[in-house]
Amino acid sequence: MYTLHYAPDNASLIVRLVLDGAGIPYRTTLVDRAARQQDEPAYRKLNPAGLIPTLETPHGPLAETGAILLWLSDCHQLGPNAASPDRPAFLQWLFFLSNTAHSDLRQLFYPHQYAPADGFAAHFDIISARMLGHFHLLDLAAAQTPKLFQPASPLGAYTVTLTRWAALYPEDGRRWLDLADYPHLLDLARAQEARVETPMIARAEGLGPHPFTRPEPPIPPEGAVF
Amino acid sequence: MTDITLYHAPDWASTIIRLALEELALPYDLVMLDHDAGDLAAPAYRAVNPLGLVPAMTTPDGPIFETAAILLWLVDRTGSLGPGPGDPDRTAFLSWLFFTSNTLHVTMMQLVHPYRPGGEAVADAVQAQAFEALNLQTGQIESLIANQAPRWLSAAEPGVLGHYIGIILRWAMMIPEDPARRFDLRPFPALAAVLAAHEARPAALRVALADDLGPTPFTDPRF
Repeated sequence: MYTLHYAPDNASLIVRLVLDGAGIPYRTTLVDRAARQQDEPAYRKLNPAGLIPTLETPHGPLAETGAILLWLSDCHQLGPNAASPDRPAFLQWLFFLSNTAHSDLRQLFYPHQYAPADGFAAHFDIISARMLGHFHLLDLAAAQTPKLFQPASPLGAYTVTLTRWAALYPEDGRRWLDLADYPHLLDLARAQEARVETPMIARAEGLGPHPFTRPEPPIPPEGAVF
Repeated sequence: MTDITLYHAPDWASTIIRLALEELALPYDLVMLDHDAGDLAAPAYRAVNPLGLVPAMTTPDGPIFETAAILLWLVDRTGSLGPGPGDPDRTAFLSWLFFTSNTLHVTMMQLVHPYRPGGEAVADAVQAQAFEALNLQTGQIESLIANQAPRWLSAAEPGVLGHYIGIILRWAMMIPEDPARRFDLRPFPALAAVLAAHEARPAALRVALADDLGPTPFTDPRF
């Protein structure tokens, strides 16, 4: 059985949406960020960068959200397989989500890792403007290839989690995303929220009643977001 | 497999794809892109890659962009240059391919274009942070090779990750104007050995000649 090393409202949420969406059994192990467990040797052995999530598999630990999604997709037929004519689009949007959309959003949450304090304001403006462009491209992609952006699918779960975070974090930051500007992403958020497993996941991580269409700061029953 | 067209600019990220295509001995056509002539913004190119970035490639199943996505598509279609689905090494290979794409590649871009994340005023500080981060991240790859000797990132056989990391670090070594901010490969001997083996292969030498990369594009790059 898989073990998902998670923290509430961390990128492990994306993996949880996909695993529960497909009915794949797994165990969870909390990584307590308040105690900086992600920096302890035992976790670093599984995940050298100390990032969440890690998925332990019969073939060893998997780090990186995108890698976990692709591996699960290929093992459990959750997306186009290697021979599918949809594979090019699937792979390109998965990497775009990982190295561009998720990576830029992360810069807004952890600006000190990327810019000096006197540059935070300019950094926020530049990166949030870039994010709007990324969501525009994802909205177009969801319109053009809807079967790749289904709720609970690798690309769908990844996309709705990024729009959730963009609406919530950093908690003291200016809000810059209106999901209504991206009708296909709003539809996706509604569809993800309507799935039967979503309220259970939301309860497990304290995400509130409308985690994707009207996100609120989480109140996790265990663990810490940051 | 035929009908591959690579949209290419020499010594841009499409060179990473070209290294893989040559190593695979796949026939392909090139469409040369001229950034200064506005090719990347042209509607014809945006139809292939809506981001307007290099590279993009057309396949029998349509266009594909994103460097790592193209590399992985090639690995999975050919069964070469990396472990495919079902291979027990696939887990580690995918983890490090995504790390290279969303972390090492992103950090290198901040090192060579430090004004992008926060403007000119903080470019120097951004570059200093990126330089430190790139060394830390390359150290993680060095530890991987030294401790686990993965066959998919080794001197014994070529792989897409060697091509990808080789070009990323090439630019980090060459592009920063301040010599103190140019990446130095020497503290990472296990990785250097892997990259030396990759750049010495006949396929890599052909690309180096065609794209004017110099004789040792990964370990001792020069303009």
